Amino acid sequence: MTDTILEVKNLVKRYGDLVAVNGVSFSVHRQEIFGILGPNGAGKTSTLEMIETLRPIDGGEVSLNGIDVRTKPQEVKRVIGVQLQSSSFFDKLNLKELLLLFGEMYGRVVEPMKLLTQVELDDKVSAQVSELSGGQKQRFSIAAALVNDPVVIFLDEPTTGLDPQARRHLWGVIKQIRSEGKTIVLTTHYMEEAEELCDRVAIMDKGKIIALDPPQELVRQLLARGFTKERIERLASLEDVFLSLTGHSLRED
Amino acid sequence: MRLKWKIFVASLRMFTRQREAIIWTLLLPLFMITLFGFVKFDGMGKLDLGVVNEAGANGNQLIESLKSVKALKVSGGAQDIELAELGKGERDMVLIIPPNFYLGAASQLTVYFNDARPQEVQLGQLVLQRVLDEIVFAQSPPPNRIVLAAVPVKSRNLTYIDFLVPGILSMSIMQMGIFGVAFGFVQLKKRGILRRLWVTPIKPSDFILGQVAMRLLVVLMQICIIIGVGVAFFGLHFMGNFLELFLLGLLGGIVFLSMGFALAGISKSEDQVAPLANVISLPMMLLSGVFFSRNNLPGVIHTITDYFPLTYLADGMRSIAIDGATFAQVGPQFLGLGVWCIISCTIAVKMFRWE
Repeated sequence: MTDTILEVKNLVKRYGDLVAVNGVSFSVHRQEIFGILGPNGAGKTSTLEMIETLRPIDGGEVSLNGIDVRTKPQEVKRVIGVQLQSSSFFDKLNLKELLLLFGEMYGRVVEPMKLLTQVELDDKVSAQVSELSGGQKQRFSIAAALVNDPVVIFLDEPTTGLDPQARRHLWGVIKQIRSEGKTIVLTTHYMEEAEELCDRVAIMDKGKIIALDPPQELVRQLLARGFTKERIERLASLEDVFLSLTGHSLRED
Repeated sequence: MRLKWKIFVASLRMFTRQREAIIWTLLLPLFMITLFGFVKFDGMGKLDLGVVNEAGANGNQLIESLKSVKALKVSGGAQDIELAELGKGERDMVLIIPPNFYLGAASQLTVYFNDARPQEVQLGQLVLQRVLDEIVFAQSPPPNRIVLAAVPVKSRNLTYIDFLVPGILSMSIMQMGIFGVAFGFVQLKKRGILRRLWVTPIKPSDFILGQVAMRLLVVLMQICIIIGVGVAFFGLHFMGNFLELFLLGLLGGIVFLSMGFALAGISKSEDQVAPLANVISLPMMLLSGVFFSRNNLPGVIHTITDYFPLTYLADGMRSIAIDGATFAQVGPQFLGLGVWCIISCTIAVKMFRWE
């Protein structure tokens, strides 16, 4: 048996007549970065929120680290870390106080400095979330998702709205966290993010998974079907131009 | 338990770091006391005359004559009660008609007066003397004149401030409960902060309890500070005990907090919650005897406002703070708030939604 940490079978979510998630199945291996790629409204967030215990599961099964999500949501909550799409934190508490408070929710006394160092925010320990830039906020919500030393971390569109530098910086942070033994499940609608970051990608559309493989494999399959781009292959993209002109370093601090 | 405590501490920290919260819960009430305290609502209107009639039918003619004088507000009762009212400052003068009184006999009547209101009393004595003279000279032949013997009484003169401070205190407890919770929780909902909490194993009840405990502590702070400032700077005649004030304040606090939770439950945004909160709190603010006595309200409205939670809270706070009422004496207020507590908690539990 492969080292599967998350097993999703025939997952269904309905909102009235709309079937937002229509029989989705996939499994995620331990210490993998697994991407769910798809346009807005494809059902990515609904899928994640059912796994995260935030939404009732209308059909199918989810097993995380051997725990049935539907029957034992409290146990699942203990072993996962979550960054929500538009997550926000209490005002008027600084980063250190927030991390300590979130740790308490798991009955843990955490070391805020260690967590902040992991996401390269150690110089912002006394700042409030409202004072952070977009990229810093996303990095902080990753730190908050790490307080319980989770086995799986869910990131819902972590880089949406970030500039290229901040996005690349966040990729580095995510890879670093994976190298420390965590499994990461993320959603995105940026192709190049999926290509750069994910070991395997599930492409979702209209509530169904329509392809699931490593990014290179998906490209290979496409070419094998006889696909050719009409335009001439370029050796660099506009983003490469932008980054080469403005530098790779972060500007937010 | 530890988590509830941590939530409580964090909530308190957030509250005290929020400038608007401090302004609304503490500074605004004090500002209103200052403002209304400057407007003198005392000293207007009639002279309160208490009449103790021990002469029965013989005294009735005199009382009728007194009642016909527009400048006097005549009330009657037993001597000890009337003198007690005078002592509290509820009467300006108390006239005693002794058992042996009858028109035609040379006699002297004793009138006790409030020594802190010399001008009113002087005027009142003139009026009384004139009424007596008129009655006497109407007889023929004119009998002996009745003279007044005036006796000063040291009174505890309650002012408008004594009425106002407990009222404003009750109102600010209501505002903190309804507006503080309703707006606070709608924001937590709208900004996804609650969703972020529910992916942790925290029990919703732990979070609510921590928050409620924090706000009840704020109620105690409001009581201490508003009463304290009232005594120190506005000459509040405080006679109560703080334990009673605290218990009644906490009970009222729970009533209004649960109303806040109910409102937060049915509202999706601040725009929705604001009119609802105003619809509930404004009538109470104006009609529950916060700023003005409810005595002048027309009958039906007076009866309806009897049952407002803010009426129970304000009346109770006032009786405890100013009259030194015992638990037994404010029993009706405790009971009324207790019933409201059950009603509003039930509604809150039914209406509260996390999303």
